[in-house]
Amino acid sequence: MSREFRTALPFLLPLVFVVSVFMLFPVIGTFWMSLWQDVSFLPRKFVGLSHYLRLFRDTGFWQSAAFTLLFTFVSVAVETMLGLFMALLVNEQFRFRGLMRAVMLLPWAIPSVIGARIWQLIYRYDYGLANYVLQKISGKVVNWLGSSTGAFLSLIIADVWRTTPFVAIILLAGLQVIPDEIYRQAKVDGATLFQRFFRITLPLLKPILIVAVLFRTIDALRVFDIIYVITGGGPGGATTSLSLYGYKYFLLGDFGYGSAISISLFLLALFIALLYIKTGRFKEAVL
Amino acid sequence: MHRFVFFSIFFGLIFLNCEKGHLLTIAVGGAPNELDYWEKLIREFEERTGIKVKLIRQPTDTDQRRQSLIIPLKAKKPDPDVFLMDIAWLGGFAASGWLQALDDYVKRDTFDLTKFFKPVVTSVDIYEGALVALPVYIDCGLLYYRKDLLEKYGCPVPRTWEELLQVATLIQKKERTRNPRFYGFVWQGAQYEGLVCNFLEFITSAGGGLFDSLGNINLCSKTNIHALTFMKDLIHKYKISPPNTYTEMKEEEVRISFQNGDALFERNWPYAWKLHESNDSPVKGKIGVTLLPAFKTGKTASALGGWHIGISAYSDNKEQAWQLVKFILSYESQKRLAIDLGWNPGREDVYEDPELKHNLPHINVLKESFNHAVARPNVPYYTRLSQILQIYVNAAISGRMGPEEALKKAEEKMREIIHTYE
Repeated sequence: MSREFRTALPFLLPLVFVVSVFMLFPVIGTFWMSLWQDVSFLPRKFVGLSHYLRLFRDTGFWQSAAFTLLFTFVSVAVETMLGLFMALLVNEQFRFRGLMRAVMLLPWAIPSVIGARIWQLIYRYDYGLANYVLQKISGKVVNWLGSSTGAFLSLIIADVWRTTPFVAIILLAGLQVIPDEIYRQAKVDGATLFQRFFRITLPLLKPILIVAVLFRTIDALRVFDIIYVITGGGPGGATTSLSLYGYKYFLLGDFGYGSAISISLFLLALFIALLYIKTGRFKEAVL
Repeated sequence: MHRFVFFSIFFGLIFLNCEKGHLLTIAVGGAPNELDYWEKLIREFEERTGIKVKLIRQPTDTDQRRQSLIIPLKAKKPDPDVFLMDIAWLGGFAASGWLQALDDYVKRDTFDLTKFFKPVVTSVDIYEGALVALPVYIDCGLLYYRKDLLEKYGCPVPRTWEELLQVATLIQKKERTRNPRFYGFVWQGAQYEGLVCNFLEFITSAGGGLFDSLGNINLCSKTNIHALTFMKDLIHKYKISPPNTYTEMKEEEVRISFQNGDALFERNWPYAWKLHESNDSPVKGKIGVTLLPAFKTGKTASALGGWHIGISAYSDNKEQAWQLVKFILSYESQKRLAIDLGWNPGREDVYEDPELKHNLPHINVLKESFNHAVARPNVPYYTRLSQILQIYVNAAISGRMGPEEALKKAEEKMREIIHTYE
């Protein structure tokens, strides 16, 4: 054992401890559970990978996987664009900037279930705010959660409202470390606003942008709370995310199959995270 | 070194906090007024017996209540000792071996089982020959109607769905001029357990059902398709039920709509009565309650609901737990349950109580509706069957899928589930 390693060991151990207790063991434990027939009302027996074979034939699973991916893609794309816009805005000098930054964070500070409940009330058909406003303007009302598309878009709006501030605040931190001199120099060289944005801001922001998108993607993949509250997975199962689908099996008492669903969600998130790291050249980005 | 000391103290404290000795615990949930009732009842039990009881407050939502029980039971935890279960998950709990058989206690104390509604006890509380639970209260689907409006337009209380449709169409048209939000009939159509209850009532009252007489699944039958088409048409064709029926309408949404005076007929559970008749209710004194209508081809049917009490198989305090169960099921406690909360006791003898009859004038309708009760399948994997029904019935009434196609697909899925878990 080298001296350097021995010195480093006590500093590393707490981290290793925390990561293994709170992250590694739960994943391994869940995987182990997924290899068993663990239904509370049936005898427990080892079934190997047969739950994963069952997943392949399970149309409900593929439907929720497709919904989850679409939800993730659309919500993250919109959140990133809006978040970038907001970050650029509050990075400028203007009066009440401090207040603006604080207000901007509000949706993120509200617990997500409460935020979701607020949106559910807004979308309500008979007494909801959205229909109230719509009625005043056009005289018509919309059954927001009544169609698959309507429910999907309603969920996207609620999610974007809540998590855009998160993207914005991370990007704001990234914007603040870009030195002003570069911009001044570019101005002297005659670069237009768009040139400055695409040639300076975006490339220098890229590392932090990738971190923000990665965080949001993983978060969006395991979306549960807002769907549970707003649509409950409906109408007709059209908005059931993978987490919600797995949860339904836990509720039934089928812990084995539920675990298999959780593990596939974990693998999906892992795969996408690796993809980002690979294509985004994460190492350079962080350093 | 200090860090290790800190960590060991920290985790030591966490573990110490987990086990609190053999305190008797009971888990119940519900609206604030329900929890008040339990709190009062338990304090009284403590005074009488000297046994200390801890009340674990659960949420109102049925699924969340269930979840908060599954976790300790799955982990074989001694607490909670006593808990209430929805009739729909009782079978699953019993089959999982989570419930203590009560037969020995009943025999020893000569506890009179005949005082309870017999069909309920035999169809739900006895699992594979053992008594595992007892009914605390019973629910049945009922039809609430606006007495004042029926009188105003000279219409009868409907006995059949066809009559209901006719009356509701007529009165809705007239009432719309005064109240643009007015609908003829509100019921539970959101994608959740309540939809399955409504669906069961519609198909049974048409002469259909989930299974044929041999117990084989027979969902995609002509009668069932007819009933489901009718449900869908109520919203889309006849438009006497609001478009948010299939997105938002659960018990409370339906109750509030009716209570605000926005509906002529309402399908709901008995709990709604007390709230409709409360002092700040706009429909106070203007309502009546009766059995649900039937199609010409069938007989009235009420989905059987309600909550049952049981003792955990892992309880470290079974004797005291049984004392508490007996107290909760005593004549006095059951009567208070009916008078304070307006719920239907699981004990049949309470229904003859003069004070109760005075407080709940519709108690006879309730008792009669129990005779037309249709139970949900008492199988341990019922939840999964229900989830499938919820999805496809909801898809059909939302218009996303034709009723026949929806039932065909649901039947296919249900066969798969039965095959997996049987």
